[in-house]
Amino acid sequence: MFQATHRCSNLIPAKAGIRLRFQHHQGVLDTRPDVAWMEVHTENYMGGGSPIRCLEAIRRDIPISLHGVGLSLGSAEGLDQTHLDRIRQVAERIEPDLMSEHIAWSISGGTYLADLLPLPMTEEALAVVCRHVDQVQNTFGRRILVENPSTYMQFRHSTIPEWEFMAAIAARTGCGILCDVNNVYVSAKNHGWDPLAYLAALPPDAIGEIHLAGHSVRQLADGGMLRIDDHSSRVIGEVWSLYEVALRRWGPVPTLIEWDQNVPPLDVLIDEARHADALIGVASKGVRRADAA
Amino acid sequence: MPTLPEIQTAVRHGILGNGDATATLSDALEPADRLTIYRNTSRTALTNALRLNFPAVQRLVGEDFFTVAADTFITRELPRTAWLDLYGEGFPEFLQGFEPAAALIYLPDVARLERAVGQALHASDAKSLKYSQLLDIEPSDQGRVCFTPHPSVSLVFSPYPVDAIWRAVLGRSDEALAAIKLSSGVVRVLVERRAGEIEVTRMDERRWKFAEALFAGHSLSAALAVADDPDAAAWLAAHLAVGHFSNFALSSTESLVASEHAQ
Repeated sequence: MFQATHRCSNLIPAKAGIRLRFQHHQGVLDTRPDVAWMEVHTENYMGGGSPIRCLEAIRRDIPISLHGVGLSLGSAEGLDQTHLDRIRQVAERIEPDLMSEHIAWSISGGTYLADLLPLPMTEEALAVVCRHVDQVQNTFGRRILVENPSTYMQFRHSTIPEWEFMAAIAARTGCGILCDVNNVYVSAKNHGWDPLAYLAALPPDAIGEIHLAGHSVRQLADGGMLRIDDHSSRVIGEVWSLYEVALRRWGPVPTLIEWDQNVPPLDVLIDEARHADALIGVASKGVRRADAA
Repeated sequence: MPTLPEIQTAVRHGILGNGDATATLSDALEPADRLTIYRNTSRTALTNALRLNFPAVQRLVGEDFFTVAADTFITRELPRTAWLDLYGEGFPEFLQGFEPAAALIYLPDVARLERAVGQALHASDAKSLKYSQLLDIEPSDQGRVCFTPHPSVSLVFSPYPVDAIWRAVLGRSDEALAAIKLSSGVVRVLVERRAGEIEVTRMDERRWKFAEALFAGHSLSAALAVADDPDAAAWLAAHLAVGHFSNFALSSTESLVASEHAQ
């Protein structure tokens, strides 16, 4: 098990950051916006040439988090060593302050299915995920964060509530949790869970980062509603409220604004980050008051 | 109770549309609808990866046609890895046999050129071999030098002017496109990334064959025999000057390779 020395054992400040996309590389280099940190999808920087050179340049001023989308921690057939090596090569050049991945799977039968697919919540799946998190942490010699998924379907044979599954991964491997508050909201609405109970069940000491994003609502054939985590709009009010609950529970946490489809101008992203920063500021005062008491 | 490998295989078949995974899902409403969301996301992500990797092909055939072609290709060749920048290795071959595109005889070669461009764009940042690194080689050993091409460099051959088509289509120049004559003769190009930018350069037959022999790892003496041109030493210097090689080794089978080429 990986021993973390501190809850946020990294240089990412407990402030709001933004997901960096290619279309904003030049804007960030030219205007040096006042954003505390940025996160990228590791898979976008696996080649050589301009993208990774831009990221190296941005990284000189701004702390960077590498967020993987393709390692497939939940694949029964094991991790793809080539992909793990590519992530390691990106990490060696960027020296990220945080690294994270998803609790999901996307590889089966040696093929990549290009989506974060849900796991059955079973002891067998939990053991597979923990074995892979151990493998990743040993390969990189550092603690990683794992993110709770947004899901649209559940498996008949699941026996463990998702929040207990997440807590168990952290307890068994020593990894941290990247709590995507929008995902908690989306999955809770889709499956009839209590989002507040979900947050309450996560171990506060394991929380290393929060994600916030927009989602959409789609109607099913039977008239029911399904919430889709598509990262293509502003964070909705209910998710901001849930985020405030999370901050009251955990104190200030590095928080990322994700916006990956129909990416807006940089200003809009920074505006969302400002809102998160304001809420983090409120949470910090709460913590200071609690310390003084 | 099904095992994790059994569940993942069932869901994979469900997503690819060649099996029913709903038996593994809970009794929630509309399980097939829910699975469809994953199927659509997967299909969209892979189609978009192909669009990014073959932009000129898409412009030539139009977005709707490309979507149909991509959809068919995806069922035959799924990526093996989550690094999608190089997804579509078999796409040019696929287009070659794709009946609805048969009228566009140059399309598979445009796809081959785009594949070379993609490889150049995303190749690793390997260091280039410098001329000074070759100075210690004994003159008697020079013929046995075999070069490793830089990962961003490759060669493309086509009976059609694919480089002109590619430029005109991506530059959205109807004028340039109209000026292209398909029967203008074979085209041989070198594709590379230089200072972050893609360069596609036409070469004459002898220069191209010399480069082909060198990039295939044949010995210098074999490549010189193929080129059969007094300027070949200058061509080699030019390759070295712009960093077309990343390494070299001394072949122990110089005469063998050379004799193969002499045939």
